[in-house]
Amino acid sequence: MKALAAVALVGLMVLLALGVSGVFPRPAVPSGEDIAAEWGAKNVVAAIILGVRLWDTLFEILVYAMTMVGVKLGLRLLRWERPLPPVAETPLLRRSADLLLGPIVVFALYVAVSGHLGPGGGFPAGAILGTALLLLALAKGVERLSAEIHEPTLEWAEYGAIAAVLAVAGALLLLGRRGSAYLIAANLLIALEVGIGAWVVLHRFASSRGEV
Amino acid sequence: MEGLAAVALAIALVGVGFWTLIVRRNLIWKLLGLNVGASGAILFLVALAHRPGARPPIVGLGPGPSADPLPHALVLTAIVIDFATLALALVYVIFLTEHRHTQDVRRLERDEERGWPQP
Amino acid sequence: MAAALSGILAYLGCGLLGFIGAPRAFSLLALLGGTISFSLWAPGFPEVLVGGLPWGIAVAGDPWAVGLWGLGLILHATILLHARGRRDAFHPLTTVLIGTCLAAALSRDLFNLYVLMDLSSLLALVLIASGRRVRAVWAGLQYLILAEVGLTLYLFGLGLVYGRLGTLSVSALASLGPDLADPALAVGAALLLVGAAVKTGLFVFGLWLPQAHGQAPTEVSVLLSGIVVKVGVVALARLAEAFPVGTVLLLLGIVTGFGGLVYALWEQDLKVFLGFHTVSQLGYMLIGLGLGAGTGALLYAVAHGLFKGLLFLAAGEGVERVGQRRMADLAGQLSLPVAVGLAVGTWAIAGLPPLAGFAAKGVLAQAAPGWAKTVLFALGLGTAVSFSKLVPLLRPCGRGRTGGLGLLSGAVIAFGLGGILAIPGLLSLPACGAALLAAVIGYALHLGLRTVRPRLPRFTFDRALVSALAGAVGVAGLVTLSWLPWGR
Repeated sequence: MKALAAVALVGLMVLLALGVSGVFPRPAVPSGEDIAAEWGAKNVVAAIILGVRLWDTLFEILVYAMTMVGVKLGLRLLRWERPLPPVAETPLLRRSADLLLGPIVVFALYVAVSGHLGPGGGFPAGAILGTALLLLALAKGVERLSAEIHEPTLEWAEYGAIAAVLAVAGALLLLGRRGSAYLIAANLLIALEVGIGAWVVLHRFASSRGEV
Repeated sequence: MEGLAAVALAIALVGVGFWTLIVRRNLIWKLLGLNVGASGAILFLVALAHRPGARPPIVGLGPGPSADPLPHALVLTAIVIDFATLALALVYVIFLTEHRHTQDVRRLERDEERGWPQP
Repeated sequence: MAAALSGILAYLGCGLLGFIGAPRAFSLLALLGGTISFSLWAPGFPEVLVGGLPWGIAVAGDPWAVGLWGLGLILHATILLHARGRRDAFHPLTTVLIGTCLAAALSRDLFNLYVLMDLSSLLALVLIASGRRVRAVWAGLQYLILAEVGLTLYLFGLGLVYGRLGTLSVSALASLGPDLADPALAVGAALLLVGAAVKTGLFVFGLWLPQAHGQAPTEVSVLLSGIVVKVGVVALARLAEAFPVGTVLLLLGIVTGFGGLVYALWEQDLKVFLGFHTVSQLGYMLIGLGLGAGTGALLYAVAHGLFKGLLFLAAGEGVERVGQRRMADLAGQLSLPVAVGLAVGTWAIAGLPPLAGFAAKGVLAQAAPGWAKTVLFALGLGTAVSFSKLVPLLRPCGRGRTGGLGLLSGAVIAFGLGGILAIPGLLSLPACGAALLAAVIGYALHLGLRTVRPRLPRFTFDRALVSALAGAVGVAGLVTLSWLPWGR
């Protein structure tokens, strides 16, 4: 078994190396600057993700949302027999959470809003937002925070954000409008959706911790 | 040259990742291996976008030709997909751990053969 | 184009709204929206780049899209009729899953297909595991991991092909006429092919399929075998269009057809048995693709979606009612609608006139040269042998719920009759004679083989993983070698 696997993997690596050896010279590709200008963006990748290949991005958002649903469904009925082990609380963590929370959220907003001008965009911004919530959870305790955050409202916000992205994107695909205001709005909505989704995953995982 | 080094690293990552996926018996290790392999594919795409002396695909950021922007966009999608797969798979690993008290593939296989006796 | 895209957006939007409330109503609304959209674009539309040049995503309303949309809408209606009691996120998830499959039917972009294949496997896993049975979760987890391995290989191939040619659109690739003597293209095309093959569940690559389909809840199995598998078939069809890979697909098809059959012959669990037959039936579609008979493959895919959906629906209903999974324990226990559904499905899958299987097999055989006709006949014979096991199950016992069984049986019959009427030369005496002959010999062979019980190697997870990887790399390597100039 192992020998066969080793042969297969070496074969795969040789195949890939062989393929790469033939990739060069690469064909000339359009630089995409005209597309960026058309969408009112400076970041060509943002113009592609939210503009030219929006149809892919819709399904990407859906992959994320369906994963959230799967995590919720999969972990909902779990019941560990033993009580949850406590999360260590330290004054250092609390203090740094107090200090860092504001800047992190502002930074996330900045990354989302400026995503069409430079590196950034909705997905990284959402991930940053998720880490902010994780920090808060570590400082306050997961159970206390998830009790404070009203879950149904979160769900509404999440599905609402996705539905808004779908609606905006659909109108855009069908009408053919484009512009930087749309890019900012889409990035903010995606950041909201990804941030909430990250929180849902993290706190579900954290509150179903236990030992085997 | 950096491009080729990145490609070589990507190929190595796939080898290491899939080797872990096959050899390890613990499901979490397997998932980590799978994710490392998938990262290899992502790095591979990014490395292919590179060209000598290229700048990032952002308008007005330095001289020189722009790197191919499309693979960057594709990679962003692929990263989200890998994350989603990992999260979902881990959920079901937790489920199996709760119900069978094991993450060992061989024990799960043995249990399956015996018709899932009570652990 | 706008009609088709808004149909898909309606599906996705209704699915999402269904998570908040009124799941069945939104599922019904999605079905209505999809049907209206389908009736608006049904004659088909030429290829359009959504998003425009140079990197837009190509979609087209070609025959594959039309066929799979019809199939998807019928299966959705069946599920709505059948799954009354399912709560939770069942309806929204199936709505989004069907929307994904419809989008995949339209897509002619390699990366878009990657995203859709992945989304469909994620949703499939959530649905498989929604029954919260350990067996199903374990089967689904294997499914996800193996599909992900395949899709990683697919991504590598995509990178190579894009790196060399600078395009992802199937039509653009086909018009460039890729020269497979180029190592990047040879390796790229081979990896794309095996990646999609692992995700589709061809024999030796995707041994996760029978367990995953067999252990899923009833309606989920219907969707999985009915339309989710077809997403992979569409991807393979697109690849066959872009690259000259006909011979490889033909060989893979023959291996898949017989490999699935051998395992099905001695399988005792009713639903897993049907899962092995899904593998075996994939062989027919691949043989069609390999022979260049795209229409035959498409018709077979739609017909298979209908009759395998019917078989899984009836089997699942019976298994859930009786509480037994082994065929021997189910004999004489099934209610009348279930037995009729099984009978119609068996009749169709055995290729007997005048049902869907007969029409689809007839179209395939019309395009096949002599030797391929023999292969197809042998496959049909094997199918008849293994489905003879279902004969004792067809004795009904009391009444029961019809649910979606009536609709699907009607669709199977209508598809067969419509095909026979629409395509000339299908209902010839030799074709009917061959079909009947296969069924009779098959039943006789079944009686003779009943006592033979060989021990086939079990495919545990590790074995499935290694066989998928080794098979994929082996096939990719051989294919590359046969294409490269110094390999000839």
